[in-house]
Amino acid sequence: MTGLDDPILPTSIAWGLLAAFSVLWVVLGWWLGRRNKTAEDHMLAGRNVGLALATATAMATWVTANTTMTAPQLALQLGVWGMLGYSLGALGLILFAPLARRIRELMPRGFTSGDFIRLRFGTFTWRVFLVVSLIYAFGWLVSMAMAGGVLINALAGIDYRVGMTVILTVCVLYTLLGGLRAVIGTDFIQTIIIIAGAAFIAWLTIDKVGFEAIHFNLMEERPELLSLLFPAAIMFLFNNLLFGVGEIFHSNVWWSRAFAFGRHVGFRAYLFGGLLWLPIPIVAGFIALATPALGINVPAADMVGPLVAAEVLGLTGAIVVFIVVFAALASSLDSLLAATSDLVTRDIYRGHIRPQASEQNQFRATKVIVVLLGLLTWLAASYRGELPIVGSLAELLYFTGAFVASAIWPIVAGLYWKRANPQGAAWSMILGSGLGLASYFMIGFYVAALVGAAVSLAVMVLATWLAPRPFDWDRLARDDTQVMGSPA
Amino acid sequence: MRLMFILLLPLLWSPLVASATPAFDAPPERSTDGGFTLNWETDTAVVLEQATGPDHADARIIYEGSDTSTVISGLSDGEYRFRLRAAEADDWADQATVTVEHHSLARAFGFFAVGAIVFLVLIGAILRGRPRD
Repeated sequence: MTGLDDPILPTSIAWGLLAAFSVLWVVLGWWLGRRNKTAEDHMLAGRNVGLALATATAMATWVTANTTMTAPQLALQLGVWGMLGYSLGALGLILFAPLARRIRELMPRGFTSGDFIRLRFGTFTWRVFLVVSLIYAFGWLVSMAMAGGVLINALAGIDYRVGMTVILTVCVLYTLLGGLRAVIGTDFIQTIIIIAGAAFIAWLTIDKVGFEAIHFNLMEERPELLSLLFPAAIMFLFNNLLFGVGEIFHSNVWWSRAFAFGRHVGFRAYLFGGLLWLPIPIVAGFIALATPALGINVPAADMVGPLVAAEVLGLTGAIVVFIVVFAALASSLDSLLAATSDLVTRDIYRGHIRPQASEQNQFRATKVIVVLLGLLTWLAASYRGELPIVGSLAELLYFTGAFVASAIWPIVAGLYWKRANPQGAAWSMILGSGLGLASYFMIGFYVAALVGAAVSLAVMVLATWLAPRPFDWDRLARDDTQVMGSPA
Repeated sequence: MRLMFILLLPLLWSPLVASATPAFDAPPERSTDGGFTLNWETDTAVVLEQATGPDHADARIIYEGSDTSTVISGLSDGEYRFRLRAAEADDWADQATVTVEHHSLARAFGFFAVGAIVFLVLIGAILRGRPRD
């Protein structure tokens, strides 16, 4: 039985790969973003991204540290249902397709998800939303920086902080140089690498280990993983679906793309992106079920994917996993850095600090904020295992589940219900997050998002039913270019 | 007094010496999802054994090596016993018992039903597609 004591990838090869791909992404970032002149170019790639690039960026951004490393972790912990449940995260992208169309119609000149909440529900709800959104964005950023460090440590034995620092620095650099245009361009290449690499690893795992051996050993050693009546996994199924929906519906990562994609592109791009994404967690997660058959020791649940791939496939497998996960991490880290810096620039800097900031001021602010976000993320990820919440990838992610799932209903009601109550939207996020977090600690990680979404729905429906507030939809298009700081 | 301190010094030192033998680090007592992580402290390679009965009749070795933790998952309801020893030693150095008691299916399907309702309402709200007047 093997463990972490002998890394499979020689340090020299790991450094070579790291250097080669770092240079590739940074040069591409510079090249793709060289014509950006204004904040709108930098933040929204000129608002005219076509279908192929749009589909690729939707799919690649959604293939994150979560998919490539947490999907195997969930297969190991919650079995077949965990793996299938994880793939239901695709519904987040698919259901966002009609929302993307509606967002583009309602706010043709919009910039961020914060813009929408501010105009639709007013200042108080906007501030609650910003807190929810920034907690999630920061949690996701830190989890991905951690994933980079864990991966490099698991495969090559390079110190966790060194690997994490290199990956984070590369992503900050090319996001800084190229803005959303660079993010989307690199996502396209990263998508091809991810699909080809994941399919290659799964095919070789089945070929080398075989379904029968995997099934036999699971039945002998970890029978619940094959049980269709595994209670925690049944509870997890809709939790994960609603977590994914919450992540996508509220996050500026997806809103900024809805604004950036050309007219009539958003709906099809999110639909195709979701369908392409659907099999990825199954392929990535499946290999974890081979753990008992292979007799691999898994010291920490979030390391199972890279460990199994490297064990089964040796040096080639380790190289492929390294490249695939680096691509997956980079494609999400850059998107999140870009989208979060847009949100902070528009909604905090211009919305709260300098309402009269010019285009050029915002352009500069976006870049400074990317660097600051990178630094903050580095600080938090440096203390992996030492801070109470920043324990493992999954712990950190599921913690944010309660927050994001509680934002589903303010977004859906805001877009579709004419009489949605603004106070109800704020309290649905506050109470949904609070009770979701309580259930995280009292029951388990697999119900936090579910409880958050259910409470949020109940509050939103009740508030709108008891105190309906009619809204003029045209205000969104009319006001979205006006100076911020004034409540809707 | 000083002499007393010098005499007692070896006793104070003894816990540090004892840590050379492997020992579980805060093992869990219960699990509601059939999974948990076992951590241990050791300076050498260890052997970890898992059994279901107090007499360890059905024991099997689940890990041998220098890692200091292992992820267990997919266990059915029951009481599981784990023993740990240094690879070169004959005697077991530490043991831990973990009781697995899964959530009831009624509770699991309760959460499943709540999730299904929220999801169906969501689909309904989006499929209507137009702002409600």
